[in-house]
Amino acid sequence: MSRPRGSALPGTLPITLAELVRIAPLAAGEVLHLADPARPVEQVVVAETIDRLRRSSPHSLVVLHADAAAGGWSLAAALHLAWERNASAVVVARSVAGPSSAALAQRLNMTLVVIDEQPVEVALQLAGQVSAPDAARALRQALFAERLAEESSTRAVLSALNGELDPVPVALVVGDAVLAGRAAALVESPDAEQVEVDVKGPGERPWAQLVAAVPARVPGAARQVEALLRLARPALLASLAQARLNSAQRAAHEQAGFGLLRQLVGEPPSTDRVGAEIEAPPWTIDLGWHVDGFNRAVWLAPLRPVGPPPEQLTELVRAAWLRARPTWPLVAEDDGWISWCSTSDADDVTVLRPTLTGFRETAAAHGLVIGVGRPVRGVAGLMRSVAEARLAAHVARDSGPGAVQWFDQVGPPAALAWLPTAEIAQVADLCLQDLMAAKDRSTLVDTVLAVLDCGGSLSQASQRLGVHRNTVLTRVARARQLGLDFEDPGQRLSLHVLCHALASLADDQGRTGNETA
Amino acid sequence: MSTAHAATAGGYLGASTSISADDVPALYEGARFYAPAVGDAYKSPLTSWLTGLLDRNGPVSLRRPEAMPPNTRCVALCVVGSGSALADLPPAGDEFQLAVQRIERLQGAPFGAVYPLAAATVSALVPVVAAAQLGVPLLDADGMGRTYALIHHTAMYLAGLSPTPLVAHGPTGESVLIDVQIGPRADRLLRANVDTLGGWAALAAYPTTAEVLRRAALPGTVSRLLNVGRLLLERPTPDVLVARLAAITGCSRIGRGRIVELEHLSRPNDVTIPGHPSSLVLEESGGQRRQLRLELRSEIVAVFADGRLVAAVPDLLCLFDVSRGEVASLDSLEPGDLIDVLVTPAEAVWYSAEGMAMVGLGSHGIGLDHPRRR
Repeated sequence: MSRPRGSALPGTLPITLAELVRIAPLAAGEVLHLADPARPVEQVVVAETIDRLRRSSPHSLVVLHADAAAGGWSLAAALHLAWERNASAVVVARSVAGPSSAALAQRLNMTLVVIDEQPVEVALQLAGQVSAPDAARALRQALFAERLAEESSTRAVLSALNGELDPVPVALVVGDAVLAGRAAALVESPDAEQVEVDVKGPGERPWAQLVAAVPARVPGAARQVEALLRLARPALLASLAQARLNSAQRAAHEQAGFGLLRQLVGEPPSTDRVGAEIEAPPWTIDLGWHVDGFNRAVWLAPLRPVGPPPEQLTELVRAAWLRARPTWPLVAEDDGWISWCSTSDADDVTVLRPTLTGFRETAAAHGLVIGVGRPVRGVAGLMRSVAEARLAAHVARDSGPGAVQWFDQVGPPAALAWLPTAEIAQVADLCLQDLMAAKDRSTLVDTVLAVLDCGGSLSQASQRLGVHRNTVLTRVARARQLGLDFEDPGQRLSLHVLCHALASLADDQGRTGNETA
Repeated sequence: MSTAHAATAGGYLGASTSISADDVPALYEGARFYAPAVGDAYKSPLTSWLTGLLDRNGPVSLRRPEAMPPNTRCVALCVVGSGSALADLPPAGDEFQLAVQRIERLQGAPFGAVYPLAAATVSALVPVVAAAQLGVPLLDADGMGRTYALIHHTAMYLAGLSPTPLVAHGPTGESVLIDVQIGPRADRLLRANVDTLGGWAALAAYPTTAEVLRRAALPGTVSRLLNVGRLLLERPTPDVLVARLAAITGCSRIGRGRIVELEHLSRPNDVTIPGHPSSLVLEESGGQRRQLRLELRSEIVAVFADGRLVAAVPDLLCLFDVSRGEVASLDSLEPGDLIDVLVTPAEAVWYSAEGMAMVGLGSHGIGLDHPRRR
C-alpha cells in the first residue's frame, strides 16, 4: 500500500538534500552545485560502474566510486545519466571533480557534492540517514542548537538562521518593522507558506516574531523550519538582554565622559575660553566620539520639564535617536539630553538636517522640543554650543512639541525664554488681585502687552490685535482701573514682564486645553 | 566551381594511380588528418627527402591489390617509436630498404610491392620512400585505415595474418628480427628494442601475397589520404571542408566550441594501451551550447556532450582549428582556441566485436558502450 507523499507521517517523510548537506558526512564535503534544496532523497546508490546508474530509481542519491569515479569523463557521464534517471544528487571524491564538472552539474541542474572521505563509508552513513530521516533531523537540530549557542547578537542569530535554512528567508519582526534578517520572509506568495514563531521578551511579554517563508510544495518543510525557529528563541532573548545591558552601560559611560569634558573646560564656558585649544582626551575615541572639528550641539528636552526625565523615557529617546545615528552620543543631563555632530566644515548640516527631520515624529510623540547650537570648534566650543542649544530648546517650547529651534535664529528675545513664567504669574495673583479676578483678564493682559510691545502706540497695538483703536483705548482704561497702570515709569518694566508671563502661561494652558480636548 | 576544378585536375575524388613529387604536400596533409596527435617536428626534412626521391626516380605506381598478380609478395612498412626521436636522429635513408631486404633474405624471395601498415602520420610517407628506392609499386591499401597504438591492431591480424617475421631497422644501422607465435608478443618484443635502436626504427612486417591482402587489407586508403590532403591544401572554409570531407570520408561535425579547460583528472589505466590520460573541455559556441568533453590518451578516444557519449574510438576524432584554418594537433591546443570537433567513421571491421575488443573504448579503460552500437 502506498501513501501519497504529501500525507506521509512526519517521521516517514523522506529527508531532503538541504537537511543532508547540513550534517556529516556531507557537511564535511563541498557542494559544487545545489539544484533544489527541497529535493527528497529516498535511496542511496553506490555506483561502481557507470552502468549501475542506468538501473537507479528516481530520487536516488548516487555515490560514485571505483570505475565510476575513474576521471572527469566518468563524472560527466554519471551526471548525464543521473539527470536522465531523475536522481537527486551525485556524490564523488574531490580528486575527480574539476571546474568543468561543476559547470556541467550546473548546466544539467544536478546537485553535485565532492567529498574527501572514502566514498563507500560516506554511502553507508548516508544510507543510514536516508532510512531514518527523523534521527538525521534530530542530529541537524542538535548541531544547529550548538551553533546558536555561540551567537550573542540578534543580527548573528538571524544570520545563522538564514544560513541554516537557505534559501528559506527568515526575519525578526516587531509590528510591521523588520528588526533583522531578510525582509523577503514577509512577502506573501502563493508558492510560500509563512511560518511564524512568537519570541517573548523579559517578563514573558511578547516582544517580536520570527517569520519564515517556506516553499509550500515541500511536505513537512514548515514543521521542520518551525522547529529550528523555536530553537533560536533563547538565543534571541539572550541577545536582547545583552543589548539592554550594553545600552545601560554605555549611557553611564557617556554621562561620565561628558561630565569630565565639562570639567576640562570649566563651568560656565566663557567666551574667552572658546578660543583656547583644549585637546580632546584620548578616551573620547574609546567612546566613539568626535570633538575635534566644528561641534554643533543638539539639546532634546521635554516640552514641560518636571525635573530629570524618567529612565524609560531616556531609553526610548536613545533608541529613536540612535536608530538614525547609531554612532552619535546621547548624554542625559538635567531635564534633557545632549547630542552633537562634529564636522570639518562649520556650515555642513547635510547630516544633521535629515536626522532632525527624521526625529521630529518621535519628538512630537513624546512631547519633546529640539534646540540646535551653532558650530564651534574644539572641546570648549562643544560646551558653548551645548549652552546655545539648551537656550534654543527653551525658545522652541513656545512652538509646541516637535519644534526645532536653531540658536542662530533666536537672538536677544531668548532672554525671555528663561523667565520663570509660573512664578511671575504667582506674583500677579498677590499684587493684582482685582485684575486676576476679572473674567476678561486675558483680553486686558493681551491688550496691555500689545500696547507696551508697540512702545505705547495705540494705533499700532490696534492693528496687531485686529480691533478698533477706541476698543484698545477702552480696554487700557479698564486695565488701569484694575491696577495695570503702566503710565508710571517706575512700574512699567515690572508690568511688561508680568503681562508677558501671564500671556505665555495662558498660551501654554490654551495649548494644553486643546491637547486634552 | 572549385570542386569541378579540383576533380578534373586530379583532385580529391576517385582513386589515384601514381604518386609523384607534386603529391607529397597532399600526402603529408592527409597523413596529419588521420593522426591528429602528431606534431610537425619532422615535416620539412621528411617531405623534402621524399620529394627529391620522387623527382630522381620518377613517380611511384599506386595499385589496388586486385590489380596485382595474386602471388605478388608484399610487405607492410611503418615507423615505430617516437616522432621526436625521428626529428632528433633523422633517417640515414636506407633503413626501410634494408628492413625489407632482410625479410627477403630470410624468406628467400623478393617482394613485388610494399604497402603502409597504417596510412597515417609519417608512416603514410615511408612506404612511398621504400617503393621509390626498391622500384616496386605501392599498394592502395593499409592495415589500419588510420593509426592505432600497437602493431597487431590491424585488419590483417584480425583476418588471421601474423605480423611476423618482422624486422626493425634503426638509424644506427642495427636491426632486430622478430618471429613469434602469438601476434601481441611481437609488439612487446619490438618496443623493448626500439629505444636501443635509436628511439625509432623502420619496420617491415606482415609479409604476405597480394591475394591475401585482397581480403585482409583495407582497400583504397592511400588514395583517400591523398584526396583528403588535396582538399585540406585548398584551405576551404570550415563549413565547406566538412561538407566535402563528408563526401570522401563520411566525416561530420560534432560541434564547434572554445577550449575552456585542459584537465588531468582521469586516472591512468592498466589496460593494454599506454597513454597519459587528460581531458579537453570545450564550451559549444552555438546551438545548444553544450559542454563538450574530449578524453585524450595517445589520441582522442571519446567525446561527451553534456556528459552523453556521442563519439568514441574506433571513430577517427580530430580537431580543426577554425581561426587558423588547419587541422589542430593535440600539443598545440590552448584555452580560448575555437575548435571544430570532427568525427569520421572508421572501416567497418573495427566495429566488429573483435575490432572493438582490440581498439574500442574498453581498451582505454572507459567502460561505456559505443554510441554506434547502442
